[in-house]
Formats: sequence, C-alpha cells, structure tokens
Amino acid sequence: MGNFAQLVILGLLAGGVYVAVGVGFGLVWGVLNIVNLSHGALVIVGAYITWQLFTAFHLDPFLTLPVDALILFALGYAIQRGVINRVIRAPLLFTFLLTFGINLIVINVLLLLFKSDFRSVTPSYSGSGIELGPVVVSYTRLAALAVAILLAAGLAFVLNRTRTGLAIQAVGADRDAAQLVGIDLRHTYALTFAIGAACAGVAGGLISLIQAVTPTAGEPYTLQAFVVVILGGLGRVSATVLGGLLFGLIEVFAQSIPGSGSVYANAIAFGLLVLVLVVRPQGLIGRLR
Amino acid sequence: MSFSSLPDPSGKRWRRIFLVLGAAVLVYALVAPLTSLDAAQSAGLPLLADKLWFRIATIIAMFVVMASAWNIIGGLTGYAAFGNVAFFGIGAYTCGMLVARAHWPLLLALPVAPVVAAVFAALIGVPLLRLRGHYFAVASLGVSVAVGEVIQNLEVGSKPIFGGASGLFLPILRFDYRDLLFFYLMVAAGALTVGVTWWVLRSRFGYGLIAIRENEEAASVMGVNTTAYKVAAFALSAALTGLAGGIFAQWNVFINQENVFPIEYNIQMILMALVGGAGTLFGPVAGAITLQLLIQFLSGSLPISADLPFVPPDARPVVAQVILGLLLVVTVIFVPRGVIDFFGGQSRLSLAFLWRSLRETSV
Repeated sequence: MGNFAQLVILGLLAGGVYVAVGVGFGLVWGVLNIVNLSHGALVIVGAYITWQLFTAFHLDPFLTLPVDALILFALGYAIQRGVINRVIRAPLLFTFLLTFGINLIVINVLLLLFKSDFRSVTPSYSGSGIELGPVVVSYTRLAALAVAILLAAGLAFVLNRTRTGLAIQAVGADRDAAQLVGIDLRHTYALTFAIGAACAGVAGGLISLIQAVTPTAGEPYTLQAFVVVILGGLGRVSATVLGGLLFGLIEVFAQSIPGSGSVYANAIAFGLLVLVLVVRPQGLIGRLR
Repeated sequence: MSFSSLPDPSGKRWRRIFLVLGAAVLVYALVAPLTSLDAAQSAGLPLLADKLWFRIATIIAMFVVMASAWNIIGGLTGYAAFGNVAFFGIGAYTCGMLVARAHWPLLLALPVAPVVAAVFAALIGVPLLRLRGHYFAVASLGVSVAVGEVIQNLEVGSKPIFGGASGLFLPILRFDYRDLLFFYLMVAAGALTVGVTWWVLRSRFGYGLIAIRENEEAASVMGVNTTAYKVAAFALSAALTGLAGGIFAQWNVFINQENVFPIEYNIQMILMALVGGAGTLFGPVAGAITLQLLIQFLSGSLPISADLPFVPPDARPVVAQVILGLLLVVTVIFVPRGVIDFFGGQSRLSLAFLWRSLRETSV
C-alpha cells in the first residue's frame, strides 16, 4: 500500500509539468483551432532562457519564470500576428504544416546558439526534499507542481474574469459574431497565441529544473500536450489540469508495471488517447465543439 | 474561390513547359541507371548513375510512393492522416521478418508487406475514421508512435521478436546490380501508386471519396457507404506505403525503429503532397521530387551542392534545416493551393496571385 501512495505522489508531481505544458497548448487549440506543433520548441526556448539567466547572473530559477513568460509572450505575439494570422482561414493541414515549419526554425536556431550539449539548472536546493510518508519529495518538483497549478489558476482567472479573457473566449466561440461586436480579431488572436506561448515559457523554466535540456528536448512535450488536452477535454482550463495530473499518474503507474512497462510508456499513453478519442471524444470534462 | 476559370495563355505555356520538363526528367531517370550495366560500360558509354545517384534517386522514388499514397486518404478523402509512417514500418518489418527469419525469397515476401499493412489499417481504421479533423490527425499520429515502440520492444521470454533495439538485419541480396534492381523496384512501386490513383480518380469509388471530402453527411445521404469507403481508402493508402517499406527493408538491409518509423516522414509526405497539389494525380509526384531534391541539396548530398556563404561546414546541416523551415512557412503562407496551380494553367505566377491567395486565408 505504501508503494501505491508513493506512485500516486510521484504521478501527481510528474503531472505538474504536463499541466504547465498543456494549458498553453489547450488555449491555442481551443480558441484558434490550431494544433501548435511548435509548442514543445517554445517550451524549450523558455528552458534556455532560465538556463542562461541562471548560469550568467546566478538568478534563482523560479525568479526567472516571469522573464520566460514575458519574452515568450512577445515572441508568440509576433509569430501569430506576423505569420499564423495569414493562414488562419486555410484548411487545417496548412496550420499544421506552418507550425511544424516554425518548430523546425526554432529548434535549429537553438541548435546554432546553444549546440546540442545537455544543459541543466542546478540551484543549491535542487538535491534536497521533504519526507512525505514513504517518499522523499524534492523541493523543486513540489514547487514546480505548485507553480503549474498557480499558472492554470491565473489563466482561468484571466479568461473568465477579465475583458480581454472574455474577448478571447468570444473569438473562440464565434469568430464572425465576435468581430461584429467590435473585437479586434487580429489583436485577439495574437494575444491568445502570446498567452499560450507565455505559458509554454513558464513550463520550460520548470522543465529546466527537472531534466537536462537540449534543443530537441521539446518534441515529446508537443505530443504529450496533445494527449493531456484530449484526456481532459478541450475548452476548459480545469479540464487540462485534470488531464495533466491524470497523464502523470498513468505514466508513473505504467512505468511501474513489472517487466517491460517502462518501454511501453508512449504506447500506453497513446493507446489510452485513442481509446478516449473513440469512446469520449469531448474528453473527461470538456465541452464538445 | 476567386481563381479565374478563363483560359489563360500564359498558364498554358507553363503547363506545357512543365509537362516537357517532367517527361525529360522521367526519361533521364529511367535511362541513366542502364549506363551502369557492364555492357554499357564496355561499350564506352559515360557513367550517368553512380552509387550516390542510385541512393538519392531511390529515396526520391520512395517519397513519390509515400506522398502519392498519402494523397489517397489525405488529398482525395480529406482525412488528415498523420501516421502513415506506421504502414511504412509495418511493411518493412513484414518483409524483413519473412526474409530474415523465415528465409523467404524477396519476391515472395514483398507482396505480403502491403497485405499486412492494409489489414492493420483496416483494423485501426474502423474506430479511428469515426474521428474528424485534428482528432483523427492526432490519433493516427499516436498510433504510428505506439506501433514503432511496440515493434521495438515486443518480446517473448525476454527474447525480442522483431530484433529489439538493435534492429533487424536482412541477408544481403547476392546480385551484381542491386542498386539498379532496388531503384527500378521503387520506381515500379511509384508507377503502381500513380496508376492506382489514376484508377481511383476515375472510378465510382473515387467519386465517393471526393464526396466524403466535400461533405460527409451529404455523401452519406446520397447513399455512399462512408465507413466502408473511408476504411478502403485508408487500407489502400496503407498497402502502397507498406510496399515502399518492404522494398526499403531489403534495400537498406538493416531496419530499426529509427529508420522505418521516423515521425518526420509523416510531415514530409504530407508537405510533398500539399506543395505539389493534394487531390491531383501528379501533384504529389512533382512535390516529392522537388522537395526531396531540395532537402538533399540543402543538406549537401548533391554533387552540385555548393558551400553556403557565411556558413561554417559543421553548422551546415542545421542551417539547412532553418532554410527548410523558412521555405515551409513561406510556401504555406503564399501558396495554399499548391505550386501545381501555377503549372496547371489555373493561375498565373504573378504578384497579384500571391496577394490574392494571401488575402483569402488571413484575418
């Protein structure tokens, strides 16, 4: 039983990262109807900013998170306003390919700037942790989970309680009607993508504390963000939080299966994904659109 | 769509130039390998096809198969299949297992590869093809990732069935003109794929698929058995992709998860079909040839690849990828209907055309 509790705790901690990666991806998908294949690359940009600030100025990694968010916000705004807005009415595959192209550019520019060496962010407290029953939980992992939940809560607040957030939701619900009531489509689209990118930046900062970072380290996160968002359901921040935590739990439990459970982590995740899609396409608590 | 339907003399000229150019490339590609035969060499003919030529030409032919096969499910039926590489890998492993473990002769093993790929596609197609849009794309992508992982890791009594992480080695074919054989095999597969597409485009089946693409509910009301049609299109696409995989396995002699289930193939085949013109007969072929030549040129594999200015040689592959990404972005932004429209006589290559296609899709 102790083992079970241990797995639950580890799963929830792993889920924190997925929540952080998933909320921005889910926002962009839900509102813009774009599956952003460059999301993982943007996450890694955030990770490199944290790494750079940490190694050059010895800033505490958690203090760099707002910087990650700001820079990625600006980058995201520029990408959407300058590029993606131009094909937003084209068929689905074109936005897929466009964001894949952006992904290719971002990853390879990172390769030029930082080479493919492994970079890790190790503040003085990275090795220590607290005992929670049978498991030792590292402070960084715990803080990462907390930041991820705060990020999701902040995003939900912005979306549901501010004029900007309501405008974003209106655009997501009906583009033409939103334009009729005077919402600036170009700006709102760019803002949505910028917020999604800012979330990716924060997620990247957290990830730099947890794993070694390379320019290509973000690719699995794009796929996992898919799974997380679909698992929870599109169109709600809380659904993504649920999906992320659940995905962390599933991953940890799958890896604990004796024998070769760990090598099937992707297969189990995607098998589950296909099952959810077929049985309950709106996700666990999502809204069908 | 605001594309002019009036006959355009300039467009016609482009179309003619394009057809002549395409025919010339085809003749060259089919004849050049013959100069590597001993008889041709002893007759003093120049060697037009060396080892590198065969490598690149066979890869191009392989992508012609994959892009054209994707076109059947993606271009004609309108289902954004993002996991076709699964069928490539399944075909490769089917052929590989039969040749390496069951010691079948290649020509007997090769026809089995498309059959297995098609059966697999039909099985997963029944649930997956109920999904639409992004959901189908993501689910098919997931399947391709999962299949690769399962094939690499599946074991019985801690003995890997399919060669495990160290991959699967096939016995090298004892034949003097191996390069020639595999090139022509791949070209034959490409011709078969184009032939099948040609037939589909003219058949009742093909009209059904196009009806599904344009409006699935309406197609269903008109009496098209949409499920059966979609699954059949998916299986057909899978069979042809699996055939290319089977040929690749014996050609490359060594297969593993990395070289027969690469995720980027999923993107590349779609890009090729789209750039050339999805849903058309020769569009994916033209797209595959152009794009693969470009990829090879940028990465420095072609003999004519010069050094890029301001780029140190070790950074070259990375810069090539950046350029490829930029080209991808520019292509998608300006030419949503595919380069083939320029040559198909439907539109003129002009600033006005670029501007119009940009305005059509932006907010």
